[in-house]
Amino acid sequence: MTGNPSPTPIKPPEKFSPSKLLAKIGKGAVLTDPEEIKKLVTNHQIWRSVFRGGIWKNTPRDRALHIMGNVWLHLHPVRVRLRSLRFAYSWGLGGLSFWLFLLLSISGILLMFYYRPTADLAYRDMKDLEFVVSFGWLWRNIHRWCAHAMVLVVILHMVRVFLTGAYKPPREFNWVIGVTLLTLTLFLSFTGYLLPWDQLALWAVTVGTNMAGAAPFLGNEGPFGDLLGMKINNDIRFGLLGGTVVGEATLIRFYVLHCVFVPVVMGAITMLHFWRIRKDTFSAAPYSPNEEKLETWPHLVAREYVAAALATVAILVWALLINAPLEEAANPTVTPNPSKAPWYFLGLQELLVYFDPWIAGVLIPNVIIAGLCAIPYIDPNPKGVGYYSFKERPFANTMFLFGVAMWFILIAVGVWMRGPSWSWYWPWENWAVHKPPPPPTWDVPNWIGGSLIAAYFTAGIILPRLIKKNLNWKITLPGTLFLCAGLGLGLKIIHALLLDKSAFLAKNIPIFGPGSFILIVFLLFTFAFFGVLMPQRYIRSLAIGRYAGTMILVLLTMSILIKIGCRTGLNIKYVFSLPQFNFNI
Amino acid sequence: MAETTTPAALKEGGISRRGFLRLAWGAFAVFVAGTTAGALRFLFPNVVYEPSQKFNAGPGKDYPPGISLKWMREQRVWIMREEKGMYALWGRCTHLGCTPNWFEADKRFRCPCHGSNFTPEGDVIAGPAPKPLWHCKIELATNGDLIIDKAVLENRPAFRGKSPYYVTI
Repeated sequence: MTGNPSPTPIKPPEKFSPSKLLAKIGKGAVLTDPEEIKKLVTNHQIWRSVFRGGIWKNTPRDRALHIMGNVWLHLHPVRVRLRSLRFAYSWGLGGLSFWLFLLLSISGILLMFYYRPTADLAYRDMKDLEFVVSFGWLWRNIHRWCAHAMVLVVILHMVRVFLTGAYKPPREFNWVIGVTLLTLTLFLSFTGYLLPWDQLALWAVTVGTNMAGAAPFLGNEGPFGDLLGMKINNDIRFGLLGGTVVGEATLIRFYVLHCVFVPVVMGAITMLHFWRIRKDTFSAAPYSPNEEKLETWPHLVAREYVAAALATVAILVWALLINAPLEEAANPTVTPNPSKAPWYFLGLQELLVYFDPWIAGVLIPNVIIAGLCAIPYIDPNPKGVGYYSFKERPFANTMFLFGVAMWFILIAVGVWMRGPSWSWYWPWENWAVHKPPPPPTWDVPNWIGGSLIAAYFTAGIILPRLIKKNLNWKITLPGTLFLCAGLGLGLKIIHALLLDKSAFLAKNIPIFGPGSFILIVFLLFTFAFFGVLMPQRYIRSLAIGRYAGTMILVLLTMSILIKIGCRTGLNIKYVFSLPQFNFNI
Repeated sequence: MAETTTPAALKEGGISRRGFLRLAWGAFAVFVAGTTAGALRFLFPNVVYEPSQKFNAGPGKDYPPGISLKWMREQRVWIMREEKGMYALWGRCTHLGCTPNWFEADKRFRCPCHGSNFTPEGDVIAGPAPKPLWHCKIELATNGDLIIDKAVLENRPAFRGKSPYYVTI
């Protein structure tokens, strides 16, 4: 298909007479001219009843009708702006997410023809798909790799939308819908993960669903769960599993969630997402005067087809070359060592090393989701809508990318740095090498820890607003670094001067080595830069509600880093702890 | 019939249009809330078909001193024999439910999922686990067999060393 109207008009259909042609055939003539065959077919009543546009004359009217009159394409506007077509603007990520969703539906439905969701049969059916069914391995590989690709593409799509400020009014709520779709994508991956019923599946889901058991109030192992009478057989985890352990009942539940419930909900919300994109003028890219619009057909739709084709080829090659993992059959008593979640959950798994499950598995994910949804409402900056700009949105971009980077660093640690017994192994180290067990941990007394937490949030919110003028960063930054180094050094000196080290040693507070010194100075400076200097410079004059909301998210993000530092550098387990309520921070 | 008439019901203190609609919407809200609650309750089964948590671990005198991994694969329980008596530890990490491994050289359990470490008594030494490992109810039957029940659990130091979580031999 070309975009240019053809200069010579195609023969009008009146001159073509099907009856004459048929008469010719009746006399024994053989149709050899493909043009004639095409005409015969496309002029036939059956053809015309299916494709109602009439003869394609490639006029502007035809091209408009191709979008308007087609149920699949009509979510597009008839004409689009050149700026929204630019590949380096959208990277095609939203459309690719949807295309991967469709590929997953197709490959998933095919797999459903063989797969039976019972504990006895599920794993055997996986083996059949792998070794017995023609191309079973290929469809399974396609399904698995599409799922991984979709998670990545959806995350990248979110990053792209953030960086181009495309969540700003009037698109706030569509951003919220997008965050919901990201959450559903992860939930779809999670529910699908159980279905092979191998060791990987069983243990990833055991760990994942036990986090539900750690939910505050609603989980039997969560904070204050006892107060509501939560037990192993009546809490939210029991409702999710349909039993007290991941078993037969869980498998059928996850199967229904994965194959029916979540895809249907997701499809509906996806349509809502698209509809609102369309209603919000399709693209956030700013208007330029006398801007010309291009026809969606062929300019946009052809690009979409090419992107989808390239993605399909990439997935196909990937699926041909690399098999989807399948470990041995699920065994509810033996956990593989190490036992790793799929990569997109490894950041979470890494956080679970430093926090109790109710924080790492429930609070942090929920705060991340709520915080993402809140972004359009707490960011009043009207600039930077529809284009990449660091200068116009330094604070928003820095903090968001900081969060994304933290997430992916945690994932990288989980993927490459963790070995047997979740010990730290560098990627080049052999897992057979025995690592010494980790040192014992200690708790900070509640009155100290509690005051520190209260002071952290109070001071953290007040501090950036205290100085009312712009600081000169050429002086402030080295000054802050110097201050942090001084504080670290001070701690080291105090520690060295303490005559009675035995009390510390008894509690396993490590003697201050160069490692912990660097770690503490690094964390202090990171906190000072992202938690104090950035807000002081850019958001100190926000209205109090938005300011407080933003600062709470910033401080919560930084507190994760600080707690990781406390655990790895100082062996602190809890800063505040009420074990009788399972409430430990 | 040109003049407007007040409905008879309203005259007699009956229901107004606004009142009716309020009632109708209210009833609809109750219906939606009720069916939602019913659907949620539906998801909580009343009967689960899971294996019994109680098992016979054989004659207690057959266990040598130290830790026995004999029942790990089948029942996920470690049986510990000390000088004074025996106890059974449930092999489920109190963090997120993985099965820790016993490291004889370190004399501790280490969990493969998030790196929690436990003493042979089940107390947490390192890692994220919030609570000690659970001790199962353990009894000596009249014929000398150990009967272990994973549904009755205890982890408080003051109680786990006593009957029914500890058998003296």
